Amino acid sequence: MRTVMSQTAQISRRTLLKALGVAGGAAAVSGLAGCAGPTGGPPPGSVTLGLNRSLVSLDNKLNQFDAAVTVQRAVRQGLTRIGPDLTPVPVLADRFELTSPTQWTVRLRDDIHYSDGSPVRIEDVSTALEMYAQVNGSYLAAFFPEWPTVVPVDDRTFTLETERPLPVLDYLMANILVTPAAANIPEELQSGLGTGPYVVTASNRGTGEYTLRRNDRYWAGAPHVKQVQVRFVPEEANRVVGLRSGELDLIDTITPDSAEQLQGLPEVRIERVRGTRINQLFYNFRKPKDHPLAKASVRQALSLAVDGRRLADEILAGSAQSAVGPVAQTLNGSVKCGAYHYDPRRAKQMLEAEGINDGDLRLTLIWESGEFAGDTSVMEAVVQMLGDIGVGVTLRQFEAGGNISEWRQGRAGDWDILGNGYASPVGAALPILQGMYGGTPERERTRDTYQGYVNPDVLRLLDEAYAEVDPARRQEITARVQQVVWDSWPSMWAFVPNSVLAYRNRVTDVALEATNSYELANVGLEA
Amino acid sequence: MTTTTETETPKRPSRVTPAQLRDAGVTRRSRTARVKIRVGAVLTALVVLPVALADLLPLPDSTEQDLASRRLPPLTDGHLFGTDQLGRDLLARVLDGGQVSILIGVLAVLVSGLIGLAAGAAAGYFGGWVDAVVSRLLEAQMSLPLLMMLLLVVALFGPSVPVITAVIAVAQWPEVARLTRSMVLVEREKPYVDAARTLGLPHRGVLFRHLVPNVVRQTSLVVLLLLAQAVLLESALSYLGAGPERPFATWGRLISDGQDYVTTSWWLVTLPGLVIVLLVVGVNLLGDGLRDAVKGTKKGATA
Repeated sequence: MRTVMSQTAQISRRTLLKALGVAGGAAAVSGLAGCAGPTGGPPPGSVTLGLNRSLVSLDNKLNQFDAAVTVQRAVRQGLTRIGPDLTPVPVLADRFELTSPTQWTVRLRDDIHYSDGSPVRIEDVSTALEMYAQVNGSYLAAFFPEWPTVVPVDDRTFTLETERPLPVLDYLMANILVTPAAANIPEELQSGLGTGPYVVTASNRGTGEYTLRRNDRYWAGAPHVKQVQVRFVPEEANRVVGLRSGELDLIDTITPDSAEQLQGLPEVRIERVRGTRINQLFYNFRKPKDHPLAKASVRQALSLAVDGRRLADEILAGSAQSAVGPVAQTLNGSVKCGAYHYDPRRAKQMLEAEGINDGDLRLTLIWESGEFAGDTSVMEAVVQMLGDIGVGVTLRQFEAGGNISEWRQGRAGDWDILGNGYASPVGAALPILQGMYGGTPERERTRDTYQGYVNPDVLRLLDEAYAEVDPARRQEITARVQQVVWDSWPSMWAFVPNSVLAYRNRVTDVALEATNSYELANVGLEA
Repeated sequence: MTTTTETETPKRPSRVTPAQLRDAGVTRRSRTARVKIRVGAVLTALVVLPVALADLLPLPDSTEQDLASRRLPPLTDGHLFGTDQLGRDLLARVLDGGQVSILIGVLAVLVSGLIGLAAGAAAGYFGGWVDAVVSRLLEAQMSLPLLMMLLLVVALFGPSVPVITAVIAVAQWPEVARLTRSMVLVEREKPYVDAARTLGLPHRGVLFRHLVPNVVRQTSLVVLLLLAQAVLLESALSYLGAGPERPFATWGRLISDGQDYVTTSWWLVTLPGLVIVLLVVGVNLLGDGLRDAVKGTKKGATA
């Protein structure tokens, strides 16, 4: 009896708990081991894209960042698109030609239809133009000096009429996406039909997630990939890890540092092309006349303090070039106007000549996280460079979804320099110049100019350029516009980044274009 | 015979052997508490001392950039922790960030300690509607998701050091208030409180001269434990982009900035992360150890 009691006492509560602890630990470790591998790639026949910004709509009336173009045009298409050589290529139109200085004649293709089989009508084009014109805060409206009127000629042919010549209308129409007239409204569309190679089967604009299914009735032949998942993955590190683990198939707009991490991985390919986007440290042109930044000489002096070569070569690891004009050199019609030089001594002398000594000037630099690759590092480096000439800088970083747009308009707070990227989805210099520098006093009253930039000389030259139908003469004026803009020192520094995209080997035929987009219909999967 | 008696170990007047005493729960807890206090103090000192003495150490300026020396690994060119993506000395950044993070943490727990102590003591002593109001307030606050609430307040009032300190302080007062209230409820029934009242001391005097001094020791231990939580909260806010504006280098921001380089420059994330772990584990061990020691003392005293 005593022996039995003694044995029972040996298996104490503590021993039992220890044993249970060991068993629980072993179970947890074996469970964790199961999590160590990839978390599960896309389903067969499916491709998953990881975007760096949230795609709030598949419509582009208000929102058109680079990566969005690829997805938006997989669902809706325009009469033209900007092709790989940055010239317009017909899409829904098979004829798009200038028939008189103020008239373009367009003919719709006879084989096009929406994903439900309904035909594309001329009325859809005219309604689309009206809706883009009516929407408040349109990003694209700035490119159009005037909106063309659609005049039907027959069932498929119509003319686009303007009051004044609009010689780049074929470029501009690449951004007007066509949707059935009855479903179009003057705001971003959340649903609806398109003529593109994919149809939307599920969407969540809050999380920026979309599921696209192959449009088997696509007029140009069904695409290769059955399903495309679009995900918003804001953190670049997560996108890189997602690509490495196979959770994502393709990530866009990555930093040189991430490209370096992915370089050499056997399962990943990287594509780079010279981009059309221009990233700027743009001055606030809404400052009062007696403010130092209202003087071009002060703006130039600050530019001289920024070592653009080091920023481009070291922080951006050679993946960007300092701008040599107000628009990217890749755009048709762009010219070299000058260069950003680094000369802090001269910068200091110029500031002193304006009566600005060490510590007299303090600037506020604002930007939104993810505005461009390596944005934070660039801003912090600029703080030190300006500090070296005695100019203090306060950084104010906005997270995505914050109210930077109100700040930009000067409605929420004062700022001096804006870190901003300007996409160039039209492929030509003239519309981009119009969009950025064509601000008028009328538009400034509603704060619809580009950071308050209103320059009567630029406006006059832009008017001249748009009125000129002779291409050579128009190019000459366009070049003069660029020089006038450049000489006004609108940016402390500007650079043109390469477009960098990484994808897994199972994905094929990803032809990245200078506009940082690619044709989703051509993308395939390895057999 | 006499000799034999002298050399023998004197017998304890008990059947409990020294070995049993050594293995007894109370002795083991006391020993564990001592170990916790020592280890916790060492870990905390490892972080807090360099942070406090950062300005005296021969380190480069934490904001001094050297673009030619970007992302140098630890122990390279005199950089103990290496350099970051702009060539700044990472150790200097970590210590500088620690000053901001620990300052926010200490201020936050001091404020939350004061609020919690005052509110909890008032609720416990006065009872009635004061207790109802304080209890409902802290229950309401504890039912809210903490991080979401902090993010909301920072979004509304801007991410400055005073705002972040205030929101963390307000977020943490319920812990202190609950504990203080329960201890005051026990203390107010004791004879010395009756005696004080009988002698005509006003309520405020009873509360602040007799009750609060008797509960403040245990409350301060909870406050110490909250310090680790406050540092973690500040780091989480900074990591999520809601920390103090740049150029303040906070630990959360160092990790957030470094995560883009995690596969090529591991030290940018790992070393600041390790420092946070050391501090949090250290403070928690220290707080735990002190609490256990106080409990043991109190039990001993009672016995």
